[in-house]
Amino acid sequence: MTDINQLTESVDSLKDNFELHKYICSNQIATAVYLAYHLRKPVLIEGPPGVGKTELAKTTADMFQLPLIRLQCYEGLDEAKAIYEWKYGKQLLYTQVLKETLDEVLQGAQGFKESVTRLHEFGDIFFSEEFMEPRPLLKALQEEDGCVLLIDEVDKSDHEFESLLLEILSDYQVSIPEIGTVKARAEPPIVFLTSNNTREISDALKRRCLHLYIPFPDVELEQKIIHARVPEIPPKLRHQLVSFIQELRDLDLKKVPAISETIDWARTLLLLHTETLDPDLVRDTLNVILKFQEDIDNIDKEIPSLTHNAIKN
Amino acid sequence: MERTLTSFIATLRNAEVRISPAETLDAMNAVELTGYRDREFLKNTLALVLPKTADEKETFENTFDRFFRFEDVSGDRNPLESVAEEDGEEQEEGEGQGTGGRAGSKLETDQNRKKGKNRFSSASDEAEEEELGEGEVAEAQTRLGKLLMQDSRVELSVEMAEAAKVVKLEEIQVFTQKGLYTRRIMEQMGLSDLLKEIQENKKSFSLPHRRLSQELKKRHDWLREQVRDYVEKQFLLHADASGTRLREELLRKVKLSNIEHRNFRLVQEIVYRMSKKLITMYSRRKKIFKRGALNVPRTLRHNMQYDGHIFNLQWKSVKIDRPKVFAICDVSGSVANYARFMLMFLYSLEAVMPKVRAFAFSSDLAEVTELFERNNLEDAISKTLHEYGGGSTDYGQALVDFKKKCLDDIDNRTTIIILGDARNNYGDCKQEILQELYTRSKRVIWLNPESRNTWNVGDAEMRKYTPYVHQAEECNSLTHIERTVSNLLKYTQ
Repeated sequence: MTDINQLTESVDSLKDNFELHKYICSNQIATAVYLAYHLRKPVLIEGPPGVGKTELAKTTADMFQLPLIRLQCYEGLDEAKAIYEWKYGKQLLYTQVLKETLDEVLQGAQGFKESVTRLHEFGDIFFSEEFMEPRPLLKALQEEDGCVLLIDEVDKSDHEFESLLLEILSDYQVSIPEIGTVKARAEPPIVFLTSNNTREISDALKRRCLHLYIPFPDVELEQKIIHARVPEIPPKLRHQLVSFIQELRDLDLKKVPAISETIDWARTLLLLHTETLDPDLVRDTLNVILKFQEDIDNIDKEIPSLTHNAIKN
Repeated sequence: MERTLTSFIATLRNAEVRISPAETLDAMNAVELTGYRDREFLKNTLALVLPKTADEKETFENTFDRFFRFEDVSGDRNPLESVAEEDGEEQEEGEGQGTGGRAGSKLETDQNRKKGKNRFSSASDEAEEEELGEGEVAEAQTRLGKLLMQDSRVELSVEMAEAAKVVKLEEIQVFTQKGLYTRRIMEQMGLSDLLKEIQENKKSFSLPHRRLSQELKKRHDWLREQVRDYVEKQFLLHADASGTRLREELLRKVKLSNIEHRNFRLVQEIVYRMSKKLITMYSRRKKIFKRGALNVPRTLRHNMQYDGHIFNLQWKSVKIDRPKVFAICDVSGSVANYARFMLMFLYSLEAVMPKVRAFAFSSDLAEVTELFERNNLEDAISKTLHEYGGGSTDYGQALVDFKKKCLDDIDNRTTIIILGDARNNYGDCKQEILQELYTRSKRVIWLNPESRNTWNVGDAEMRKYTPYVHQAEECNSLTHIERTVSNLLKYTQ
């Protein structure tokens, strides 16, 4: 596809195109996508929740006009749900059918040996692709024109599952005992893995990936993000709320507000037809950005000074 | 350029970033794609391929800036400096000669400077220099001489870097080697030829040749300065870390009570790293599959999709619980430091041992778990030591208190760690309480900071306690603590 080639020509063109899709990213992020495409390496994205890890994969799929295949990880996820499963029902149905026509098949067979040989011809059919139900990972390999594969929150899955991923991440192939090795079609998928760092990802997995860490954005970048996502918000208010959030991040909180919370807050304020921040308004809408009562209580005293600073800046 | 990359990776490894050979190959592939031209691009690229945790990213950032600084600045800064020097010289020479100045070549001003210096200083070797005046200068014959005379700084720094590679500057270990490596690099660059040329030209009768000799000598001195500077920087880059490593090795083995206060930070880092290693080793929660016990609901649910034909059996399994640890620490003066590091270790392992309860005593025992939950590690430890430390130790009383407080919480999954020297000031030992704990709990471990042969000397009562512990260990260095904690995790998994 010439389209993709044009997009991935340089880091800058990627960055611009991300911006067209309303995803404002740093050079580091654009470089990651650039390398992921050219080197065909999966990207492991880490960072605090709400900084746009999943969004990056979605936007990439959007931009390249490729289907997005998403695998949400959780404890207990196994290969039957991630890679493939046999259509047991169909297999059972077909054996029933076969049972009835068995006489026809075996008609004229000379002796036991020949009957067995004829039956063997059926045996393999039950474990062919016809009877296989592809799950996200296999589906991603089978996509003709390539796709974006998002393995979300890989840290939530078990250790066993992580090892299961190694083959697909390094060679873009899956081994199915009954069939053999399934390789990716012409275009291997672009793989993103996200992790919230609830546990350490194994070195084997990390080694196979590019490692991208997305931190909280600085003031300028956050301004741009809010501008792209909530364009209706007046610049003055945008300025105020971003500097308020930035200051909030420096405080000792149980959960620091992320970009997604900033966006939510911007939308909330827009809905309330706000023109400028004031302490009462902040107090009323604080539950949009802070998700723990403990945090809200702790901040309560500091709201006036925080608001004052935000307006002054 | 590949060698630059590999030596950069070696430097990174030196700074505790773990990079496998496969990642080195990845880095080379990536760099092949991106090239070396754009510095920021290169940095972004390598930052994606080499460091794989947030901590490592930070180290990478610093190392990158330091490593790739030399080539960047030397082309820049040196001319600036020399311009500044020239300016200074101009003023000096302003009254004397009036000529020279900015329009004149660098050579001229350099000679002027020499004259200026001669006028004011009377250093012996400089006094020997003859006043040659201005005029033609003969051409240098040796390679290094030519480079020096051409003033091609970029080429010189490339030469320098290459010579450094040949003499293996990256292997520099201690600061006393700096002089040695400076000399070796100079020699590699062709020092002996240059010196010979300087000598020969000095003896020559022709004026231009003698001028050349003087000029070369000056530039030779300048070069030596540059090389020394370079070696200095490389030393910081390469040897810094190995020096720290050496110190860390020592700190791991040294008696904890002998660790000086200024090293606490470093020790804390070591503890953090050690515990991180243990966490990755033991973070995997094992399940025991009870083969033979059918999990009927799960089996039925799983086989629903096959029209109720039951052929995919599900077995019962039990997750093994994390160990429950009770740490009882003597915080009286003699043992306080050990308690500090023990607690530091236990609480850094929060990810694999979430149920640690800590108790501190010198005469009376108190639970300090809450202190650790509310404060950060450092504060909690110093608060504990401050509030409960001091006073004479009474193990009997401590055991009585402990029994009163939480005998009911101790079950067959609990491990009790007691840290103390068992010096009871000739009081009542109350070993029968320890016996009770011993029968109720899974393990009782006694860690004694004193060496084994003093365990029963004086008022120490280890003999009375050892029958009622599963394990009594000498424990007075970080390595000991690590071993104990690692065993603890192994037994409970």
